[in-house]
Amino acid sequence: MPSISVKLVAAESLYKRDVFRSPDPFAVLTIDGYQTKSTSAAKKTLNPYWNETFKFDDINENSVLTIQVFDQKKFKKKDQGFLGVVNIRVGDVLGHLDEDGRSAREETITRDLKRSNDGMAVSGRLIVVLSKQPSSSRSHSSTTTTTTTNATIPGTQQPVPGAITNAQTANRSANPTAQAVESTLQSGAIAQANNAAVSSSPNTPNNTRQYSSFEDQYGRLPPGWERRTDNFGRTYYVDHNTRTTTWKRPALDQTEAERGTQLNANTELERRQHRGRTLPGSNSTDNSGISVQVNNTAATPAVNGTAAAAFAATGATTSGLGELPSGWEQRFTPEGRAYFVDHNTRTTTWVDPRRQQYIRTYGPTNTTIQQQPVSQLGPLPSGWEMRLTNTARVYFVDHNTKTTTWDDPRLPSSLDQNVPQYKRDFRRKVIYFRSQPALRILPGQCHIKVRRKNIFEDAYQEIMRQTPEDLKKRLMIKFDGEEGLDYGGVSREFFFLLSHEMFNPFYCLFEYSAHDNYTIQINPNSAINPEHLNYFKFIGRVVGLGVFHRRFLDAFFVGALYKMMLRKKVVLQDMEGVDADVHNSLNWTLENSIDGVLDLTFSADDERFGEVVTVDLKENGRDIEVTDENKKEYIELYTQWKIVDRVQEQFKAFMDGFNELIPEDLVTVFDERELELLIGGIAEIDIEDWKKHTDYRGYQESDEVIQWFWKCVTEWDNEQKARLLQFTTGTSRIPVNGFKDLQGSDGPRRFTIEKAGEVQQLPKSHTCFNRVDLPPYADYESLRQKLTLAVEETIGFGQE
Amino acid sequence: MSSKRISKELNDLRKDPITSFSAGPVGDDLFHWQASIMGPPDSPYAGGVFFLSIHFPTDYPFKPPKISFTTKIYHPNINANGNICLDILKDQWSPALTLSKVLLSICSLLTDANPDDPLVPEIAHIYKTDRSKYETTAREWTKKFAV
Repeated sequence: MPSISVKLVAAESLYKRDVFRSPDPFAVLTIDGYQTKSTSAAKKTLNPYWNETFKFDDINENSVLTIQVFDQKKFKKKDQGFLGVVNIRVGDVLGHLDEDGRSAREETITRDLKRSNDGMAVSGRLIVVLSKQPSSSRSHSSTTTTTTTNATIPGTQQPVPGAITNAQTANRSANPTAQAVESTLQSGAIAQANNAAVSSSPNTPNNTRQYSSFEDQYGRLPPGWERRTDNFGRTYYVDHNTRTTTWKRPALDQTEAERGTQLNANTELERRQHRGRTLPGSNSTDNSGISVQVNNTAATPAVNGTAAAAFAATGATTSGLGELPSGWEQRFTPEGRAYFVDHNTRTTTWVDPRRQQYIRTYGPTNTTIQQQPVSQLGPLPSGWEMRLTNTARVYFVDHNTKTTTWDDPRLPSSLDQNVPQYKRDFRRKVIYFRSQPALRILPGQCHIKVRRKNIFEDAYQEIMRQTPEDLKKRLMIKFDGEEGLDYGGVSREFFFLLSHEMFNPFYCLFEYSAHDNYTIQINPNSAINPEHLNYFKFIGRVVGLGVFHRRFLDAFFVGALYKMMLRKKVVLQDMEGVDADVHNSLNWTLENSIDGVLDLTFSADDERFGEVVTVDLKENGRDIEVTDENKKEYIELYTQWKIVDRVQEQFKAFMDGFNELIPEDLVTVFDERELELLIGGIAEIDIEDWKKHTDYRGYQESDEVIQWFWKCVTEWDNEQKARLLQFTTGTSRIPVNGFKDLQGSDGPRRFTIEKAGEVQQLPKSHTCFNRVDLPPYADYESLRQKLTLAVEETIGFGQE
Repeated sequence: MSSKRISKELNDLRKDPITSFSAGPVGDDLFHWQASIMGPPDSPYAGGVFFLSIHFPTDYPFKPPKISFTTKIYHPNINANGNICLDILKDQWSPALTLSKVLLSICSLLTDANPDDPLVPEIAHIYKTDRSKYETTAREWTKKFAV
C-alpha cells in the first residue's frame, strides 16, 4: 500500500480565546483514527509555524487525515484548549493513488479550521503539503496543484475578505475526465461553474492554466510565499515567513537571507526618511543629525516665543466648562462638527462661548490693548480667518478675495497700513496649536515598554490600560532588552515600527486605496476581527499620541479620511483619492444624460464576506429611480455611503481614541492637507531625484517655463514642496525608493508636467495621473505667483 | 443597484441574442458570468470557441466588469493568464457601456489586434514583423485549445 508524507507548514490567525495571552499551539495528526503524530508546540502565537513533516504508511485514497490544533497551556483543561480541526480525504487532494506508484505528486492546500461538536468559536486556517513520493526513479516531474477551500470564515489576516483569488478554481487540467461542455454551448446555455471554467473540451486537456496561489507564469513562489489578489484585482504577495506583504514578486534566485537583507535595507530607507520628517514651527531638539529647517530665518525661535506667548495668553481651550450662557445652544452639523447658536442675537458661531477666547486689538495709539471676547462679536463672515503677526497684532484674512486687512470685518473699519501679505501659514497654525493648554505635557512620566517583535500587541496593552491623562505625561518608551533612555530617538522608532504594524493591511483594519498602492483607508470589512472597534480606538489614540508628543507616523491616509477627521463633508472630488474608476463614472453620470442608460436606483450593493447586500441610500431608495433631475442628490449620497457610511463604526471608534488626546475643536484650525502634514510630518524632498523622474508633455526639459518651474520649486521650503506633492499626487508621501516608484491609479506613473491651460489661469492637477497642467507663463514671476497660489489655495476653493 | 442593472442586461441578452457570443450567469450567482465567443471568421481564430470568465464588481456599472479568457489564446493583447488589455476595461470604461458592448469589442480585438499597446510584447513583435508566422501560430493554438 502506498505511503504519503504530510508536511504541516503553519496555521494562520487562530482564534484568540484570551484577551491578553496568545496560545502555544500544537497540532495532532491522525490518519483513519489509528496512526497519530503530533507537532511541537509553537510559543505564544496565533500564527504558528511548525514546518514539520510526518510519514504515514498504508494509505488509500479513502483515508482521512484529521488535523486538530490545541493550546498546550490548556491541554489539561476540559476543552483541551481546542483551536480547530480539519478533515482531509487523501483522495480529494492527491487523486488516485496508483498502485505502481510511478508518479510523484505534491499538493499544497489551505483549509479553514472547523469547529468541533461543542461549537466553540474557531477561526483561521492550516497550510499543509501532502505528497506521495515515487517508488521508481523514472518519475515524472511533479505536478503541483493547489486547492484553496473558499473561506466561509476567512482568516482575520486575509487583507481583503471577499477577494477573488485565482486559486479558488482548482486546476484539474491533469484530470482527463473533465466534462465536455460542447452540448451546453450549442444550446446557448452556460455551463456549470468550474468544469467549464477550467476545461472547455475533453480533447484539449491542457488548454487552460489556472495558477495556484503558490505559483504564477514565472514558476513557483519561494517557500512560505503566497500570491493573493485584493478587492481591486491587484496582485500582491504574502510572505508567511516574515508575516509581511509586498506588491513585488519575490525573486526565486534570492535566498531567504538575501530577501531578509533586502527587506531590512528597505525598512532602513523608510526609517531614515521617517526620521528626517519635521514640522515648521517646532524648534525641537531632536533633529537626529538631519537638519531640514534650512529655510527658517535666524529669528525663528524668538518669533515663535512671542507668538506662542500671545496666543497662550488669549486662548484657553478646555471645552465643556459647565453650562452654556443663557440663550445659547450647542448643535452639530451633519458631519458632526459642533457649532453654537446664540438665540439672543440669532447668530451662529464655531466658537464655544465658554472658551473665553478674547481677541486683542490695539488702540488708536498702539499702546493700549483692547480685549473683547470673540463670542460677543459673533463669528467671522464666511471665508474669513483671524491671524496674528509676529508682534502679536491681530489681522484678518479674507480667503474669498485673497486679501488681508487689520480691520475686523465685524467692526467698523479703520485705516489699512502695512498689512502682512496674504499667505496660508501652516507654521503659525502649528505654533498656535502647540500653545494650547490642552496640548501641554502634564507633569510626570508615561512609561510604555514593548517588545520589538510584538510591538502591536504590546503597545495595545500598554496604551489601552492607561488613562488619556497618563498618556499626556512625558513619554518614556522602552524596548524590551534594549538599553537607551528615550530622549526622542526611541519614541520615534516606536511610532515608526508601530505604524508599519497597525496599518498593515495584513491585519485587515486598513487597506490600500485604489488610487495608488500606499495611501490607506479603513477597511469596511474589518469586522472580520471581532475586536476591531477596540483596535480602531487604540489606533486613534496612537495617532493622537503622535500628534500630542510631536512624533510622526509613517502612514498616509486617503485625503477623505483627513476631511472626516475635521468633520468636513466628503464630496465627489474626494472619490478621486479613494477609487478613481468610480470617480470617473460618477463624473460621467453628472455630465451626461443618464435617461434610459444607467438604470440606477437610490441604493448600492455591498459585498459582505461573500454575500451581496443591497443598501438603501435613502428611505425606500431601491424603489426610487435615479433621473437626470435627481442624480446630483444620488451622487452625493452614493459618495457619502461609499466613503463614510461603510466605515462609520470604525471611524467613530478611531475618533473617540484620537479625541481623548487631541480635542476636536483644536484640530479644526488645520485643513485636511495640513492635517496630513501634522500627523506624518514633512519630508525632505530631493528635487534632483524628482526632476530626474519627471516626464513632459508638450514641453521639453530645456524649455524656459520648465526651468522656471524647477527654479521656483527648488527655492521653496519643504512645506511648500510637500504641498506641491499633495496638489499633484494627492499625498505628501514620497515613495521609499524615490520618484521613480511614484504610483498612479493604474500602476507606476511618473510625475508629468503637461503644457495646458491659458496663461491667466492657475495650474491644474490630475492626482490620478500625478500630472500638473502648466500654462506657458510668459515670465518667472507670474509662474511663481500662479504656482504658489494654486498649491496653497486650491484646497476648499475649487480646483478647476 | 448593480444587481438590478445586471438583471436588465441579462434580460436584454435573452430577448435579443447576439450571434457572435453567448453569455450568462454561472449557477445562481448573478455577479459571476461565463461567456463564449466564436472566433471571427475573418481571423486566425475562426472555428474556435473561446470561453471567458466575467466578474461584475458590486459597484458595477461604476466600475468595469473583470473579464479574462479561460481558453488559451495566442494574441498580442491577451496573456497566458487570460488577462485582456483593452482600454474600455480600464481607464476608458464608462457606465454607459454594457457587457454586450464589451464582448463585441473583444470580438473585434480578435480580428484587429492592437500591437502598439501589447500585453505580450513577443507576440506583438511577431505580429508586426512576420504576420504569416503569427497567423499560423494563432491558428495552431486555436485548433489545439479551442476546437
